[in-house]
Amino acid sequence: MKLYLRIKGKRIWHLCALVILGIILACCGEVITGVDQPFTATVGSVVPITVHVSIPTAGGGGPDYFIFGFLVPKGWKAAENTTITYTSPTLGNGSMVLIPNTTLAKNGGGLNWPDDMKKTFHIGGNLIDDMEWVAYQTDKAFTHNGSTITGDLNIKIKVGADNNNTLVKLDYVITDSGNGFTSDGNGTYYSEKVAPSCLQLTGGTGDLVDFCNPQLTTINPPKSLDNDYITLTFDGNVTKTTLPSSDVTYICATAYTSDGQTISICEQTDKTKMVQIPSGSNKYQITFWPKAFFGLSDTQTIIKMDYFITDKTGNVKVGYGNTSSPFEYTFKCS
Amino acid sequence: MNRMKSFYIQSRISIVAIVLLVAFLNSCKTEKLAPAQEQTKDISGNWRVIKATRNGSDLISIVDFSQFRLNFKDGKYSLVNKVPFLVGGDGAYTLDDPKYPFQISFTAGSNKPVSTAFNFPIVNGVRQLTITFSPGCANNSYVYVFQKTN
Repeated sequence: MKLYLRIKGKRIWHLCALVILGIILACCGEVITGVDQPFTATVGSVVPITVHVSIPTAGGGGPDYFIFGFLVPKGWKAAENTTITYTSPTLGNGSMVLIPNTTLAKNGGGLNWPDDMKKTFHIGGNLIDDMEWVAYQTDKAFTHNGSTITGDLNIKIKVGADNNNTLVKLDYVITDSGNGFTSDGNGTYYSEKVAPSCLQLTGGTGDLVDFCNPQLTTINPPKSLDNDYITLTFDGNVTKTTLPSSDVTYICATAYTSDGQTISICEQTDKTKMVQIPSGSNKYQITFWPKAFFGLSDTQTIIKMDYFITDKTGNVKVGYGNTSSPFEYTFKCS
Repeated sequence: MNRMKSFYIQSRISIVAIVLLVAFLNSCKTEKLAPAQEQTKDISGNWRVIKATRNGSDLISIVDFSQFRLNFKDGKYSLVNKVPFLVGGDGAYTLDDPKYPFQISFTAGSNKPVSTAFNFPIVNGVRQLTITFSPGCANNSYVYVFQKTN
């Protein structure tokens, strides 16, 4: 005797699909359900940030520690300037502790947690690679017993330890110590939330460091001294400038030394030539050693440099924000 | 007759046993192994850069290192056609251990000695010299790999 089961009606099918979807979603993986973060702050102030999380657990796993990481400018020295506590109706209240760099990330291929976060999530939506992931874990472990753990991470961070006015897009990730940043047939065991817009720090005395918006010129490494090699890149795609299209551009720069001298190198020669890399990209690059480029004596050091990008005649000059003011760069390490 | 034969066999067995015993005891004799002497590392000569990185990214393709030379001779070093380096001027050098060096120390003129990690591997049969240092900001790390010029 055969039993035929017929389910009629669209609604029942929809309901079944929803239940299955619900089971899949509830099965695995931590989720950041929201972030409350201000978008303006003063340099040196303590900013409160709340990260809301939901941790659906499957039965019979753990105990694992809940892992949290966030992406901030290196100059903020966030590991020293941050405290994080958590409140959870299911897990109780407690504090998040900094994970030592010697602790390897689960499924991280031998990397520690900050390096694994950097490899997996890069620098979020930011453009200058002078940022770091700072990783924390709960002070107590939780078991996977089929229930859903909800909670809030309450971050208090003193922003702008480097005293720089800053525009930056913060990024937040969570996972647990039993899974790491992995996905499998059962789901995804981590969650990332990039701040929807940039946090703007004002009131500092340092340079403006804009991690958010494309810049006409960038210098790598972002923090360097005159005894480093620096790579200056001009990106002609950011905005239309008066420079004619060409395979090369030139740098016209002035150095200000600690002994009060001003040294200008403004010529259109191989020494100042910026090469288009890759060809046709409209991005031009030059790498030089400032000490030698400006012909400094052994006792002189450069404090800052300003510069223009010019065409091969030297008559067409492009400055900061596509204006006639020069780009500025301060040589410093923090 | 039988007793004679038995005595003869017994003495033969005894001789064999003694020979075996002597051989056994001799086999346990410890041999004195002379440990191979590690040679003192001699880095003297003229070195050029064959690989260079800044914070892990290649530099050799974007910077001309072809004219730079690092000379070691009789405890002194000199820099020719300078590039950013651990020290800015010529002076004296020392290794932390002449046989197993892991650190090299440069003393430029009357300045304080500056030490850094140092590697002296043989790659494809050729000695290389790897020096890691930060000439500018401490966060910017450079690695130069040198090979002798001839």
